[in-house]
Amino acid sequence: MARGLWQWFEDRWPVSRVVRAVIVEDIPGGGSYWYTTGATVLFVFILQAVTGVCELFFYTPTVDHAYASLSFLRISVPYGWLIHNLHYWGATAMVVLVLVHVTQNYLWGAYKNPRQLTWILGVTLFLLTLLMMFTGSPLPWDEKGYWAVEVGTGIAGMTPFIGDFTKRLLQGGETMGQLTLTRFFILHVAILAGLLATVILIHLVSFRRGGSTGPWSESKRRRTGPFWPDQVLMDLVVACVVFVILVGLAAFVPPAYTGAADPTDPMFTPKPEWPFLFLYQALKLVPGPLEAAVALGLPLVLILLLLAWPFLDRRPERNPAKRPAAMAIYFAIFAVIVALSLIGGMSRPGASETLSARSAPSAPSAKPSAKAGQAAGADGAAIYQRLGCPSCHSINGTGGKVGPDLAAEKEKGRSADWLKDQFRDPRAHNASTVMPAFQLAPDEAEALASYLLGLTAKVPAAGPGGGAPAPSAAAGGPPAGAAGAAAPAKGQALAPQLIGNARHGALLFAGYCARCHGSRGRGGVANPGSTDGTVPPLAPIDRDLFDPAPDVFVSKIDRFPQHGSRPEGPDPSLSMPGFGDADALTQPQISHLEAYVLSLNDVARARIERPGVPPAAFFIIVAAVFGGLGIVGVGLAIRLKRRKWSADAEP
Amino acid sequence: MDAAEKDTQLARPPGGGAEAGPADRSRRRFLEAVIAVFTSLIGIALAVPFLGTIVGSSYRAKKERLAKAASLAGLPVGRPVDMAYEETVSDGFLRGEAVRHVWVIKKSAAEVMVFSPICPHLGCRYDWDPGASLFKCPCHASVFKLDGTVVSGPAPRPLDTLPAEVRDGVLYVEWEQFEVGIPQKKQA
Repeated sequence: MARGLWQWFEDRWPVSRVVRAVIVEDIPGGGSYWYTTGATVLFVFILQAVTGVCELFFYTPTVDHAYASLSFLRISVPYGWLIHNLHYWGATAMVVLVLVHVTQNYLWGAYKNPRQLTWILGVTLFLLTLLMMFTGSPLPWDEKGYWAVEVGTGIAGMTPFIGDFTKRLLQGGETMGQLTLTRFFILHVAILAGLLATVILIHLVSFRRGGSTGPWSESKRRRTGPFWPDQVLMDLVVACVVFVILVGLAAFVPPAYTGAADPTDPMFTPKPEWPFLFLYQALKLVPGPLEAAVALGLPLVLILLLLAWPFLDRRPERNPAKRPAAMAIYFAIFAVIVALSLIGGMSRPGASETLSARSAPSAPSAKPSAKAGQAAGADGAAIYQRLGCPSCHSINGTGGKVGPDLAAEKEKGRSADWLKDQFRDPRAHNASTVMPAFQLAPDEAEALASYLLGLTAKVPAAGPGGGAPAPSAAAGGPPAGAAGAAAPAKGQALAPQLIGNARHGALLFAGYCARCHGSRGRGGVANPGSTDGTVPPLAPIDRDLFDPAPDVFVSKIDRFPQHGSRPEGPDPSLSMPGFGDADALTQPQISHLEAYVLSLNDVARARIERPGVPPAAFFIIVAAVFGGLGIVGVGLAIRLKRRKWSADAEP
Repeated sequence: MDAAEKDTQLARPPGGGAEAGPADRSRRRFLEAVIAVFTSLIGIALAVPFLGTIVGSSYRAKKERLAKAASLAGLPVGRPVDMAYEETVSDGFLRGEAVRHVWVIKKSAAEVMVFSPICPHLGCRYDWDPGASLFKCPCHASVFKLDGTVVSGPAPRPLDTLPAEVRDGVLYVEWEQFEVGIPQKKQA
């Protein structure tokens, strides 16, 4: 039956010829684990294709749903964590393995005549792999991916003459938004994926055409060994090891939830994906005018050098020991790239600087900014931060939106005494204010008042994103809504659907919430006039609000940061402002705060609800099965070898 | 070249070496078996999660969630009330509010009966006839008593009750839908 079917196909298609072309080959010097690098890349590519297709069943490429849909896959879909995490780590593995493969072929001199075309196709695949990583990174539309692309398209934008054009083409406009996401999505899942698969196929055909390169030593080349099954088995062994490692990474080192992309968020440190870190670091080392030359020249030179290498190095000699110049050039470049990448990876381009310089309001502990820095003024600025004023007030657009902007107090004709009255008893000026009263020492009140009166309003006070340290998103261009496209519209209360980042939330909490709820939400801040007498602590939180299920917990607490609340009691002096309603915090920011509050109550926001098989157990099963059967296989192989020896000895 | 010849070509160890001996052949068969086993293993290790995501997400998670409906305080005893309440529903990763209508019959301060508003015959919305003290379905004239039992008409089973709980005088209901037109109460 099977034979008949085979024959039926055989009569129509060259099935066995294709099979032979795929598996029949003599490898000079026999198979080797050195030659498994290409097959391992192919394996990881297949892994990426399978997991990628599976992600497509759940992923929605729109700026307002991409993050939530991916979080849903990772948390609420059985094995979704595995699929996504494998895809994430597979991307890294693929770049690493391609680098290893390129290096191995370089060492073996596999680019030399007659295999130049195979090499050029290989370099093309290397570039396609990098582009896959570049286009894949923004698809979750999280902070990390968003900023990675912001940096990446920024580099593209530096190209002389065609920079703006290229950047617009990639972004689908002058700022990042929905069209950017759509473009990267189509590039990633259709165009580049299709190209990658096609070029891999041509690369393989070209490889078979040229035959295996084999060892450089003539004596070793005399013996040959079969590709099938010997080399294939070695390929498979390495593929299995890589697979088990990837499952381990997927189970124990899941990619972090960095929060939904928030173009107005100054606290995220934008960095490109690791393969591009060397470029990012190199750019920091060169002075401005040279930046464009390095940003584009460096990768361009490297690529051209790789492509042209078979034509520059035409000696047939393949032994690395006899190619000192080729080795020196390769490893020098490699070392520089690795060094730059490591420096770039470790550098923290001012997570703290960012806080103090760009987003002072969020950091009560931040040093007073230098420009405000006269003696009394500096003191007042510190008090301004310490009291948490920026939670509600902004200065020239930077800060909270609950209360009025304070940059123009002097222009408004306010006196120091008026301000001091306002600090002591806000209701003296406005009976319905939610501003809490502050008991300040006279010199503190004086310093704060003179700080505020020393400020000057920038005109125009409130441009789109005025003062907001937003990326290019805020600059000119599209109507205000477009910049906020990634940050969901007000009032929709999307925060509970977004998986926030608790560490990010901790920073926001310190700036916006700790003043009333206490450090780490421990409470204890007096609230005279309320029934409780103090502001409720958040750690531990009211038992009615607590829920062990993170999504339920979040939905119970969401209304407080969104809409605020007025404590019970005759005349509470502190009321919680509605940070969401007042646009003082974006929805992604509220999601970070919520994740932090959950973490204070020992609930992980990103806990996997439906794992299928839990990550650790899945890894143990996979490792045990692969390991166990591997040992059985080795045992059988040894027995077979012994039998063969005895069979050889018999006659 | 006939098929048999091709087959032997395929089976012959490449390299133009001498005809393989039996030991070589068994070694080869062993290696092929190992390749088959480990390829299948990777296949299974990928197929399980792949199918798991697609199949698993097609079945809803087993979590019984009662939604807060309303306080029972003002409700009359022994008379059905059409109660509307909002519930958070999820459709994949989308979350939204859905308005649910249920019939609530308060028996005492702590005891209630909650009926799905969907007629078990063919899914119409039935109504309460206060004059006759009967539930009547306008579509096919099924008639039910206050306790949900069928009085007349084509309805194959009594009205469907919904899981409900009273906590501190507040009613919590779990919204469910059942298949219509069959005698068994079976979740749709």
